[in-house]
Amino acid sequence: MKALKMVVCIKPVPSPDQYHHVSIDPKTKSLIREGIPTIINPLDKNALEAALQIRDKYGGEVSVISMAPPAAEENLREALAMGADRAFLISDRAFAGSDTLATSMVLASAVKKIGPADLILTGNESADGGTSQVSAQLGEWLGYPHLMHSCGIEVLDGGDSLRVETHRDQARVVYIMKMPGVVSVIRSINKPRFTSLMGVISSRNKPLDTLSSLDLLLDKAFLGLEGSPTKPGDIYQPDLTRRCVPLEGSTDDVALALIQKLRAAGLQL
Amino acid sequence: MMDNKDSLWVVVETIRGGFQKVALEMLSQARKLAQRLQELNGVRPGVWAVVTGSHPPEDEAMYRYGADGIILVAHPSLEEHRTDLHATVLADLIREKEPQVVLFGATAWGSEVAPTVAARVKTGLAAHCVDLQINEQGNLVQLVPAFGGKVLGEILCPLHRPQMASVRPGVFRAVAGEPEGKGIKLAVRPDIARNEDSIQVVEVRQKDAVGKPLEEAEVVLAGGWGVGSKENWLLLEELGNLLGAAVGCTRPALDEGWAQGEDTMIGISGKTVRPKVYLGFGISGATHHVVGMSDSGLVISINTNPAADIFQFSDIKVVADAGSIIKSLVDQLKLKSH
Amino acid sequence: MDFSFSKDQEQLRKAVREFVEAEVAPFAAKWDEEDICPVDVFKKMGQLGFAGVFVPMEYGGAGLGYTERAIVLEEIARHSAGLAMFLMTHHLGVAAILHFGSEDQKKKYLPDLASGQKIGALAVTEPTGGSDLSGHQSTGEQVEGYWVLNGRKCFASNSHVAQVTVVTVKTGTDQKGRPALSAFIIESDNPGLTSGRKENKLGLRVSTMGDLVINNCKVGEDSILGGEGKGQRVALGIISEVGRAGMSAISLGILRGCLEEMVKFAKERKLYGKPISALQAIQFSIAETRIDYEAARLLTYNALTLKDTNQRCDVDLAMAKYFSTEAVIRAAKRNIENMGGYGVINDYSAGRFMRDGLAGLPSAGASNIMKVIVAAATLA
Repeated sequence: MKALKMVVCIKPVPSPDQYHHVSIDPKTKSLIREGIPTIINPLDKNALEAALQIRDKYGGEVSVISMAPPAAEENLREALAMGADRAFLISDRAFAGSDTLATSMVLASAVKKIGPADLILTGNESADGGTSQVSAQLGEWLGYPHLMHSCGIEVLDGGDSLRVETHRDQARVVYIMKMPGVVSVIRSINKPRFTSLMGVISSRNKPLDTLSSLDLLLDKAFLGLEGSPTKPGDIYQPDLTRRCVPLEGSTDDVALALIQKLRAAGLQL
Repeated sequence: MMDNKDSLWVVVETIRGGFQKVALEMLSQARKLAQRLQELNGVRPGVWAVVTGSHPPEDEAMYRYGADGIILVAHPSLEEHRTDLHATVLADLIREKEPQVVLFGATAWGSEVAPTVAARVKTGLAAHCVDLQINEQGNLVQLVPAFGGKVLGEILCPLHRPQMASVRPGVFRAVAGEPEGKGIKLAVRPDIARNEDSIQVVEVRQKDAVGKPLEEAEVVLAGGWGVGSKENWLLLEELGNLLGAAVGCTRPALDEGWAQGEDTMIGISGKTVRPKVYLGFGISGATHHVVGMSDSGLVISINTNPAADIFQFSDIKVVADAGSIIKSLVDQLKLKSH
Repeated sequence: MDFSFSKDQEQLRKAVREFVEAEVAPFAAKWDEEDICPVDVFKKMGQLGFAGVFVPMEYGGAGLGYTERAIVLEEIARHSAGLAMFLMTHHLGVAAILHFGSEDQKKKYLPDLASGQKIGALAVTEPTGGSDLSGHQSTGEQVEGYWVLNGRKCFASNSHVAQVTVVTVKTGTDQKGRPALSAFIIESDNPGLTSGRKENKLGLRVSTMGDLVINNCKVGEDSILGGEGKGQRVALGIISEVGRAGMSAISLGILRGCLEEMVKFAKERKLYGKPISALQAIQFSIAETRIDYEAARLLTYNALTLKDTNQRCDVDLAMAKYFSTEAVIRAAKRNIENMGGYGVINDYSAGRFMRDGLAGLPSAGASNIMKVIVAAATLA
C-alpha cells in the first residue's frame, strides 16, 4: 500500500458562541469580525480526522492548508497539534473579497504548489455562511474527480482509489473514485479526536509556512474581489421577533389551553 | 420569448423516475422573475425547466407551475447519482444556449451539481438563497443568510453569465397557474465521453421515508434538548400522530439519538418549514434553528428557561417542562377521543 | 515580570477546555448526584497526557511542568472539581515515585501511571491524625528480605480505584526517639492491601475516598520509596507541594465557575423590570468574586513558576492554597445568594460549587496549618 499524501483544507470561522458579537458596520455595511475568536470550522475537523485515520492506518502525510488572514496561523497550529504533519497559510491582501470560485482557484494552486496530493479533504460546508461550494469547485480547478456529502471513506487497491459512502436526500450512495480526488465530508463520518498535551508540544516543531500570491500560479481573471463573479451587496439583520404572550397555569391547564389554541388555528381536534 | 438565449432556467433533479418537487417552487419564482424582467425591459424571457437523466420525465405540472418550455436531456449514462455527468451536460448546454439565470434546488444533488457547473462555466453561484429578486438594472439579487442566520446579505453576479443560485426546498411556494402558452419541449441528446469513469456508482441503498415530509405538514412539532429523554421523545411522536403533525428536531435531539434522522432537522443546515402551527418543545431558539421556522403561522414554544431565546420569536410562551406538557397533551387528547 | 501565559500554554488550555466541555461538563452534575467515579473518563484523560503532565517523556509523560498541570486541573475543575480531585490525587502517587523513586521504580511504574492505564494514590492520613504525622500507628517490619506492613489509612483518595498506592508506615525511630516513617509502593493485586469503607462525601464526590486496610501486606525490598526512614520527607514533600498546588488549581476552576455562573445569571434574571446586573449589590458581589479569582490566580501561578524553576515554593504554595480554597467558599456563597431561591436547587451548579469548596478545605493541609507555615516563614 503506497503512502498517501493528503491535503486538508481548513477554514477559521467565528466561534458560534460569539455570534451575538458579530455586528454590522452601519457605514460600510460589512461585517465587523475583528477580535472575535475563531475556531477551525467543525466539519473541517471531521475532514482532518478522516485524513489522520487514513494516515494512522496506512502511513502517509497530512498537510493542512488555509486561505485566510494571518491570524489563522493559530488555527493551523491547532491542526498540527491535532496530528497534521505540516501546515501552510495561504495569505495575501490580493485574496480579499474572494468568492467561492476565486477561493477554490487559489486553493487549487496551493495544492499543486505543495506537492502532488492523492486525496484532498474538506468539510462539506463552513459554519459561518456555508455555501458548500468550495470542494466541488476546487476539484474542477484541479481537474480531479470530486464527491460531496461523504459519511465514510475507505482506501482501496493499494492506494489508487477510494470507496466513498455518501448521504443523498433519499438514499445512501456508495461510489468508487479514482485518486487523485477531492472529497468533502459530513458530520457523521467520524468524531474528531481531542488534542493531547503531547500534540500541542510537538506542534511547535512542525513546519508552518506562508504562501502569498507571489508563490502561486494564479489565474488573474479570478483573483480576489475583482475577479469574483459574485459580489456582495447590502447586509442587514432580519427582525424575526414576535409578540410572546405568556400562557400560565398548571401543566394540565396549559395543555388544555394549547388544545384550544390548536382548534382555533384550524385543527380538527 | 422562446429564444433560448437570456432565458431563465430551473434545473430539475430526477429521482427514481419522478422529480424533486422543489423544482416546482423554483419554477413559480422564476415565473415571477420573468414577469419582473418584462416590466423592466419590455421583453419577457422564457422560463425553461431543464431535466437531465437517463429517462428524464416530461411532467405537465412543470408547465402549470411556471415553465414555458422543458428541455429534456437524455443519455443512458445519466444515472441519477452521477452528479459529475449531469454537471458536464448542463455546462455544455449552458455554453450553447446562454441562459441569463440558472436555478437549482439546494438538495444534496443540487448542492453538488450547481457548484460544479458554475466552476466549469466560470460564473458566480449563490448558495442556499432565501430570496431571489430582480433589481433596477435587471440583475438577479440573491439573498443569503450568514452566521447561522443572524445576518442576511445580498449577492449579485453583475458581469458573469449565467447568474446561478441554489435555493432550499420550502423557501419558495409552489404556485400553480395557467400556463402562458402551449408548452414547448426540446429533446437534447448529449455526447458523453466513453472514459468518464473516474467515478462509479457501486451501491445505492434507499432510505425509508418516515411519515409526512416536514415541509408539507400543516402542523410541525419540533423537539430539542429539553424534551429530555428517549421515552419523552416517543411520546412526542405519539403526540404527532394524534395531531396529524410532522415531528422535527434540532441538532441536540439528533445527537442524543432520539430523533429519526438528519433529514428531520429544522434549521439553516436542515429543513425550512412554514406550517400553520409550529410547536417547539425544549428548544432554546438558536438563530440557526429559528431561521428554519420563522415563517410559520402560529408559533408556540415550551421551555423551562424563562430567558430562552426562542420566546422572542414565539407568539405564545409557555415556561414549563417539555416532557410534562407532552404527556399531558397526549393524555388529554386520548381522553377526548373516547 | 511577565505574568502572561506562553502561546503553547494558551493552546494547551484551549485543548483541555475542548475536551472538558465535551466529555465532562454535560455529566458533572450527574456524577455528583449519583456519586459516580468515571474511570473511563480518567482513561481518556490519560491518553491525552493529563495523567502524566509533569512526568518526563522518557517515562511516558508529557514532559511539561506543574504550571501546565495546574492549567489542566483548573480547566477540569471549572466543570467538575471532583474529577479534577480524582486526577490530582492520582498525581500525588505519580509525583512521589517520580521525585523519590529509583530508576528501576520509575521505569516500572511511571509509564502506566502517566498514560492513565493505572491509577495512583498517596495514602498518609490515619485515624490518629493527618496534620500530625507522628501519630502514625501503621507499622512496617523487615522480615527475611521483605517487609510486612500493617495498619489502616483513612480519608485516602482513590482508595477504591487505585492500582499503585504509596503508603507511609512507621518503620523505626530516629535518634531523637521520634517515629521514623518509610514510604512503600503497594500494587492493588497485593492481597495485603484492601479497601475498607467508602466515604459518602459532602463534596468532591467524584473523587473516591475511603479506608485502606493494610493487613500483613508483604512487599519486597524494592518497594521502599526514597529510602528507609525517608517516609516523612516523601509525604510532606509531595503533599506540601504537589498537593497544595493541586488544591489551588482546583479552587481556581471552581472560582471561575462561580464567577461565570454569577455573570450569566445576573444578565438573564430580571427583577424590577431589569436584569439584576443593574443592581449595585449584585455588581459588588461580582466584583468581589472577580478580584478573589484574579488574586488566587496570581498567587497560584506565581508559586508554580517558582516550583517549575526549581526555587523554594512551599510557603508560596501554602499562601496560594489557603487563599484559593477560602476564596471558593466566599464566592460560592455569593453565587448562591445572588441566585435567591434558585441557588438552593440542585438542578443548578451553585450548591455543588459550595460543597466541592468545603470538601477541598481540609485537603493537602487545613487552612490553619497553612497559616502556621506562613507565620513561621514570616517570623523567621
